[in-house]
Amino acid sequence: MSDDIVNIEVDGEAVEARRGQMLIEVTDAVGAYVPRFCYHDKLSVAANCRMCLVEVEKVPKPMPACATPVGEGMKVFTKSPKAIAAQKATMEFLLINHPLDCPICDQGGECELQDLAIGYGRDVSRYNDGKRVVKDKDIGPLVSTDMTRCIHCTRCVRFGEEITGKPQLGTTDRGENMKIGTYVEQSVDHELSANIIDLCPVGALNNKPYRYSARAWEMAQHATVSPHDCVGSNLYAHVLRGTVKRIVPRANESINESWIADRDRYSYEAIYSGDRLMRPRVKENGAWRDVDWEGALAQAADVLKSADQDKVALIATPAVTVEEGHLLSQIADHLGTANIDHRVGRRDVSDQDNDPMYPSLGCSIAEIEQHDAILVAGSNVRAEAPIIAHRLRKAAVAGAAISFANSSVYEYLFDVANYLSGAGLVELLAGVAVAAADGNSLPDSVTELCDGVTASGAHKDVARSLAEADRAIVLLGNIAGRHASYTAVRALAAAIAELTGASFGGLSEGPNSAGACLAGVLPHRAQGGENRVTAGLDVASMLAQAMDAVVLVNVEPDADIHAATDAVARLAEQAFVVALTPFVSDALLEAADLLLPTGTFAETSGTYVNVEGTWQSFSGVASAVGEARPTWKVLRVLGNLVDAPGFDYVTSVDVRDEFVARLGEISTSNAYEASGRIAKVNGADAPANDIDIPLYSVDALVRRATALQLTDEAQRARAVSDG
Amino acid sequence: MNRAITYVKTFALWELLRGLSVTLRNFFRPSVTLEYPEEKTPQSPRFRGLHALRRYPNGEERCIACKLCEAVCPALAITIESDVSDDGTRRTTRYDIDLFKCIYCGFCEEACPVDAIVETRLHEYHMELPGENIMTKDKLLAIGDKYDAMISADKAADAKYR
Amino acid sequence: MSYVLSGHVRDEIEHWKARFPEGRQRSAVISALHAIQHENHGYVTAEQMNAVAEYLDLPTIQVYEVATFYSMFQTEEVGRHNVAICTNISCMLRGADDIVEHVESKLGITTGESTGDGRIYLKKEEECLAACCGAPMMMVDHKYHENLTTDQVDEILDGLD
Repeated sequence: MSDDIVNIEVDGEAVEARRGQMLIEVTDAVGAYVPRFCYHDKLSVAANCRMCLVEVEKVPKPMPACATPVGEGMKVFTKSPKAIAAQKATMEFLLINHPLDCPICDQGGECELQDLAIGYGRDVSRYNDGKRVVKDKDIGPLVSTDMTRCIHCTRCVRFGEEITGKPQLGTTDRGENMKIGTYVEQSVDHELSANIIDLCPVGALNNKPYRYSARAWEMAQHATVSPHDCVGSNLYAHVLRGTVKRIVPRANESINESWIADRDRYSYEAIYSGDRLMRPRVKENGAWRDVDWEGALAQAADVLKSADQDKVALIATPAVTVEEGHLLSQIADHLGTANIDHRVGRRDVSDQDNDPMYPSLGCSIAEIEQHDAILVAGSNVRAEAPIIAHRLRKAAVAGAAISFANSSVYEYLFDVANYLSGAGLVELLAGVAVAAADGNSLPDSVTELCDGVTASGAHKDVARSLAEADRAIVLLGNIAGRHASYTAVRALAAAIAELTGASFGGLSEGPNSAGACLAGVLPHRAQGGENRVTAGLDVASMLAQAMDAVVLVNVEPDADIHAATDAVARLAEQAFVVALTPFVSDALLEAADLLLPTGTFAETSGTYVNVEGTWQSFSGVASAVGEARPTWKVLRVLGNLVDAPGFDYVTSVDVRDEFVARLGEISTSNAYEASGRIAKVNGADAPANDIDIPLYSVDALVRRATALQLTDEAQRARAVSDG
Repeated sequence: MNRAITYVKTFALWELLRGLSVTLRNFFRPSVTLEYPEEKTPQSPRFRGLHALRRYPNGEERCIACKLCEAVCPALAITIESDVSDDGTRRTTRYDIDLFKCIYCGFCEEACPVDAIVETRLHEYHMELPGENIMTKDKLLAIGDKYDAMISADKAADAKYR
Repeated sequence: MSYVLSGHVRDEIEHWKARFPEGRQRSAVISALHAIQHENHGYVTAEQMNAVAEYLDLPTIQVYEVATFYSMFQTEEVGRHNVAICTNISCMLRGADDIVEHVESKLGITTGESTGDGRIYLKKEEECLAACCGAPMMMVDHKYHENLTTDQVDEILDGLD
């Protein structure tokens, strides 16, 4: 037996444990429950709630299980009279200053203190003196505070210190006056900050928009998936009488662990925004009129059928589900057009034939933290994929050298090895590529890009850290994806990866870029990545030409389309624009001729393929708002009306199953081969050209989530965009 | 012999006399019949009749929208919606009791931590139109306001047994 | 940030920082706050704490935590002379309570308050200052006064500018 294993006894049962493990981990593993408040498996041990006291043989006092390392021959009693007495005494002290306001507390019914008070509390308090009262804090629009309820477990404080790296909450004063707070009034603003709601074992920190609107026991819990970034965080929607009341994380160690981004948690507010399109509308002589679904769909089908097949354009966003993508691409095939695209953010498609089968991270999400060196180029990761940013931070805390290359400097809450900035992305990466080559020959594709470039010390540091690491990866972000010279950026990043022996990957836009690519929502590739015989038009080209019919699927032309400028004006000039959209906006009213109300992610079923290639299906969790219908159903009926064959699906699962059956082998390879020497494009590499989408502007839902828009972050972004 | 006795009893209308003797006995007993609605039986303070929502003496609604009554209701007769009120407190925006579903078990009253929902001694009510069976928050509060004295007295009378 | 640390405070911080290993600059917070409080007539402001946090490259909350935890630091504006009368067991047995009462009535304030002219701050509560042999005692601006009588207290307090 190895030295690392110790034998202990838990409640009379022999158990093996790793040396250095805390008792509570061992008791949890064998199913001997020990009550606790401050212990959390993702946070450091604080041992300040004292609830997990257990009896250990030959130790005169009860020991906190969360902070007692196991030792050879230790005999632990978790339910002995002594242990129970200690736990009950702790509970009595915890309840001394706790207000008995469970009936109005949002935590009531799902409260750790309430639950444990049943098991370990007395029915009547012996404490007759005054209870302390703590003033509530205003820590922003996301988290409500009732600090009198706080039991000082400091989980929220440790979350700030250890998980986000931005400690804003702390324990001020001491003794009876001790309180959790920010001392000076400020909002707690990190993109993961609202996870303190779930961490708080009592009702001190709670969900502000949800405040007082429902009770834990009356809501039904439905699993769903986040539609805001390429991670696909696992969520639970809590639904009361068909209405989503709140979103909480669904633990999945390989994707989001037990955290979710604030925008995943609060974007549900947009489902019930005043901007929802309640019934189909048609524009006649410049005036909008409500119509019924049948008439609206018939009109859409007529327009599509009578359109010249080269003059039909189908534009979706990377938020289409796999099912919607499959239907859309079949409709396109049936209509005989290849003008179908979901890459509304990509400005440079010149090299699209060398794209991988689907955009992939190049490793699994969980593997990010196992790398020793990472170069993230052209990315504002914290806004693009907060969970990836968290994994990067974990890697950095574990000692990895994380470097960034980006024109603008974004704040990261860990030690950044090198931050290359100030110049255009092509220039920055060319420097690193030259440094990585270290006098050896560069790949042919980038020789012209690197011509005359000399590597600075920082470039060399980055290249060296990648080359010397056991495991390194070069990641391209969404800013790179939207770069006017993406071809050059990608070729350089791939060259750096090749020269340093690092792997290569990137983030993708929206929740389902991967699924949309596989489903053939691309002008140059059919389903399964097969090249089309004749490539259709990309988004920018579609908008630049006069089309007979344009179908927009959940696209907001003013905010989502970065591939083309003046998208709204150009769409308004098109002969007929059908928009399937959950929301109505001025831009859509200007651009479209027919509006069809579709459901948001909560009202529809579907599948997202995330950036690591994981397929995640979810079902609709909420009742439809107004006359909105799931996008896949609208597309299915539209398919019927344009006489597309095989459109007799009953459920979205039928659509997915058919698609999966048709899909051949999926290549996860990110290998990049340029089709020749890439030339510099004048003016494309100006730093001002880098399009960054602020954290709370990424999609139509987030843009309409009231609480998110009230955050300092959103207000700062608005101030910038308003000039 | 037996036959002779039966014979005599039959002609003497013995059974009838026995029956009439019961009538005669009760004829002189005190009467227990009440002339409802002029006369009424006494009620317990615990009588479970029509519901009411109470207020505090300062006029503030007692109900804090904890939804325990909704949760405990075995007939699913109570529907509550809640939100943050103007003064920041937890309040109901909707409090409906469906009297057709209600089985008058009194669990709601037992569950209420603030003595807001009560079942009064009122039992003489009727509905004429569809929908009148739904007691809305306004109706329940109005009953509470009108019969506050009675409800308070009943609560006080029962308090020492709780 | 409008408040700038003085040269003396910087020297003090550097002196203490040097005594701790690299990356443990957090250990210098107490001395930094002491130095600032001394310069600032007995209390530190949030602005000054921010300056310390920035200088030491710490999150501001960590400086707030330290400043509010220790009773030696005042985070609200107080009178410029800090009068702390020990009321722990030895002093209590030797009449500290009478002295507190006397001072309170003399100054017209209760413990935890400052006189209206901003001259004296009577500390809320002082724990044992390790001068039990000279009980009852009080500390005025870091200076110990032992074996107190009310007359002596009057003299000491009247002697403050």
